Amino acid sequence: MKKVFRYLRSMRFGILLLCLIGVCSVAGTVIPQGREIGWYAQAYRSFHGVILALRLNRVFESWYFIALLVLLCLNLSLCSLLRIHRVVRGAKTEAARAAALPDAVLLRPEGVEKLRARLEDMRCRREEIDGVSVYRKHGFGRYGSFVIHLSILLTVVFGALALYTPTVTDRACMPGEFILLPDGTEIHVLDFRINDETGRLDYQSHVQVTLPDGRRSGIEELRVNHPFSFGGYKLFQQSFGTAGSVTVTALDTGGTDDFLLTEPAFLSADGRTGIYFQTLYPDFIRDPSGNVTLITVTEGSYPNPIYQIEVIADGTFTPSLAEPGKSLELTGLRFDFNAPVEYPGLRIKHVSQLVNGLLVAAFALMIAGLYLAFFLEPVLVKVDAAGYAVGGAKPERMRVELGEDFREYERKEGTQAT
Amino acid sequence: MRTLFFITLLLYAIAVALEFAGTAFKKDKLLRGAWYVFLAAFALHTAFIVARGIVARRLPLSNQFEFACAFAWGVALMLIVMRPRLKSDWLSVIAMPATLLVMVYTSLQPMEIRDLMPALRSAWFGVHIGSAVLSYSAFVIAGSISLRYLLAVKKQSADERTLAQMDYLSYRMVAFGFLFLTVVILSGAIWAEQAWSAFWTWDPKEVWALITWIIYAVYLHLRLRGGRRGAFTAWYLVIAVPVVFFTFAGVNTFMHGLHTYG
Repeated sequence: MKKVFRYLRSMRFGILLLCLIGVCSVAGTVIPQGREIGWYAQAYRSFHGVILALRLNRVFESWYFIALLVLLCLNLSLCSLLRIHRVVRGAKTEAARAAALPDAVLLRPEGVEKLRARLEDMRCRREEIDGVSVYRKHGFGRYGSFVIHLSILLTVVFGALALYTPTVTDRACMPGEFILLPDGTEIHVLDFRINDETGRLDYQSHVQVTLPDGRRSGIEELRVNHPFSFGGYKLFQQSFGTAGSVTVTALDTGGTDDFLLTEPAFLSADGRTGIYFQTLYPDFIRDPSGNVTLITVTEGSYPNPIYQIEVIADGTFTPSLAEPGKSLELTGLRFDFNAPVEYPGLRIKHVSQLVNGLLVAAFALMIAGLYLAFFLEPVLVKVDAAGYAVGGAKPERMRVELGEDFREYERKEGTQAT
Repeated sequence: MRTLFFITLLLYAIAVALEFAGTAFKKDKLLRGAWYVFLAAFALHTAFIVARGIVARRLPLSNQFEFACAFAWGVALMLIVMRPRLKSDWLSVIAMPATLLVMVYTSLQPMEIRDLMPALRSAWFGVHIGSAVLSYSAFVIAGSISLRYLLAVKKQSADERTLAQMDYLSYRMVAFGFLFLTVVILSGAIWAEQAWSAFWTWDPKEVWALITWIIYAVYLHLRLRGGRRGAFTAWYLVIAVPVVFFTFAGVNTFMHGLHTYG
């Protein structure tokens, strides 16, 4: 049992877990994730059985990947506890242990003086122990590794909470209308535009949120990279669409109906005669002989939209095109094709701001830990009349730097100090 | 502007040629010449990036061309910063060709200036991508130092102290790069939450940044805790460089995801 526990907290196990997470991650990027099962059968033929059996089509949601993350958390927890215990215990005695070190490098007297001056310049704290000087600095740097491991643990835990606990809904909403959420919250979309004042792409909505208890937000602008939070909801500008707009007027009564069309629809009074809306194209080119070439993809707002329809009358289907501003009359109905309406697709996320805040705090802790570990390494140098030795948990930096800078003052063992 | 870029590329190529010739024939004059040409190339490179930023009216880091150009600049900058600290110049012969290699890749990318797409208009843009430039550059320099270490060991052309210095410097570069790669990943996560509503989406670029992070995390553990030094870690860092290049260029070329900006 003790052996298992020792292995679970070991660096060897941590590295093994990291490697396995890395291997799974490679598989997760090489094999497209989350496609239909049939797609894998077609793309990988005889291998698709293996892919599905090993859940390589959904690696990051597979039980073994989650198990690896849980084991990593366990390893980090045990390792962090052990580490902090060792570091705190070691910190109490490190000066005395450094003072007892034999000189690793022997220096001529002028070298010793220069070394002392250099360490004073570095603002190291000097302590006299048993007749030798111990210079210390950046003692808190020793906690760097512990802080990094702790922050990774917190990142995995809060990251999992931030990823898997929010409820996310994607909803499209026409300007002037509102989205009603199951708890009674209303999200009113007041307007939407695709291009800003200068014509640059910038998807902007103005929204207002009303909570079930009657609290209401101000009118807020929603843009990509600028989400808006209110009452536990966070709204994102996620996508956009362009809807066809057709006004149908009954010629005998003068009554009208406005239709916003995002998918094929049959507009008719009697179910037999009318127009069948197929789609809306963003642009077209009409040549001198009147032939139209439809353009399916443009960037931003539709520059020159055109409706593709079929006119259905007396059992005949006549394909046709209609530009905004045109009208069509059919057995008592007039169809007015209006300018298309742009609408936003909103992502509505019910999220805990506390979890998000804790996750960002864990990120900050990780950066601080890395800085402590790699850029504020503890300095612990023992100096006596004959030379010096570098001690502490991370002696390499000072060994290399002092070794380079005081090379010219070094002397070999057995030679005179003067 | 295009001319400025290609003059820079040409100067880097001349610097590399002079460096190789100087090393092969052991001619100090050629090596000095290589260094001055390299400095001139770097000055033009800096001018090109600044000019592009002024013309585009934004940080010139938004597409593969601009990022690669900044990446090459970062590698050159690190060589320039490190060289005076070295007692002898054993790094240029590897780091100069590395700069040229990235510049050649840059020259193969579409060069036109485009307006910044809405998803990239964020305060995190500079932090996220600037950190990536520093991090990838540091890893390339670490790989270069390690390659030089292996060559020096094979040819027995360096003393123990120089080898120890190489080994230590490669570690320092990894530590620097690792800090900035962490900044890349974490700032990217915060930005992704603002732009795409989730801190992490398992997008190929995110995953490969994580894989790169894991590779260097394992290196740091092996070196700091496992006590592995010398040829083993040098080989490790040389082999890790292609992974960095794949994360930088391969993912955008071979995989489709949210980071495909052209």
